[in-house]
Amino acid sequence: MTRIAATALALLATPLAAQDFSQGSEARSWNLYAEVPARFEARVVDVLCELTGECAADCGAGGHQMGLVRTADGVLVMPLKNNQPVFSGAAADLAPYCNQTVEVDGLMIEDEDLNVRYVYQVQRIKPQDGEWTKANRFTQVWAQSHPDAAGDGPWFRRDPRVNEVIDREGYLGLGPEEDAAFIEEND
Amino acid sequence: MRQLLSLLSCCLALPALASEGTRIQVTGEIIDTWCYYSGVMGPPDAVRGSGHHTCALWCSAGGIPVGLLAEDGTVYMVLKIGQDAQSAGGDTQLTLAAHTVTADGMLYERDGQNYIIVNDVVEDADITLRTHEDYGVVPPFAVPEDAR
Repeated sequence: MTRIAATALALLATPLAAQDFSQGSEARSWNLYAEVPARFEARVVDVLCELTGECAADCGAGGHQMGLVRTADGVLVMPLKNNQPVFSGAAADLAPYCNQTVEVDGLMIEDEDLNVRYVYQVQRIKPQDGEWTKANRFTQVWAQSHPDAAGDGPWFRRDPRVNEVIDREGYLGLGPEEDAAFIEEND
Repeated sequence: MRQLLSLLSCCLALPALASEGTRIQVTGEIIDTWCYYSGVMGPPDAVRGSGHHTCALWCSAGGIPVGLLAEDGTVYMVLKIGQDAQSAGGDTQLTLAAHTVTADGMLYERDGQNYIIVNDVVEDADITLRTHEDYGVVPPFAVPEDAR
């Protein structure tokens, strides 16, 4: 009985103890100050649903922030970024796996100074019984939803909503006059 | 023994139950969480305010989570603003990029991270931090060559 209880307690303690999620990771370094490679299995969740019970059938179809509930310890990891170079989040990459269990590989940001431990950059995703795919879906989804913005240059220069705000408020967000003064002073 | 195993089964599963949340009112800046936490564009103070406004727009439109950075340094991940639950690239959060706002809403905490459902933006003070005076624009290419 004592041995069974000890084994059971050990089972309880295991997932709660600090674990090394960097084992087996093939994540590329982005030379970030507090990056730590992390590869783990997780359930893909709509964070709004997970926390509040306000749930959309399709996890919001890429319009809601998606989270990763780690199988090993139940921690909710918050993906901030996908694998593409700049300015793209991971919701478009994770939404197709709504409420599914997947394996992910990428970089955790663990920064004591900023009091953060579980924010993540997803580099690749592997569904159960599937192959690894790079988390590079955002620009494809953006192009499909902005057919009138097709053209040369990166998506963020062509995004009509962003350009509407910049036209109205300027690059600094303080109005066109502040932009003009700043540009004149710095060129 | 059965009771013990039942208890362990419960705890090992670590169920995540939706909770009620706690009502709060908090004042802070709507930030781009990736630039803030990753340091990819510079130190935390450089990725706020006017100098980072364009980058904050790009990241918000790109679906990177926006946060509400309170005056005490606490970051609240924003999951909904009013009736707009589009927290990945939504219209409402885009219009508030780099603005200092006072938000009334519900706080949820999980694994050391704070999340907020904003019921009401009580006050929108627009951009209050003139960081371009110290850091220029971040990143420098935010203002394109043809605008210079």
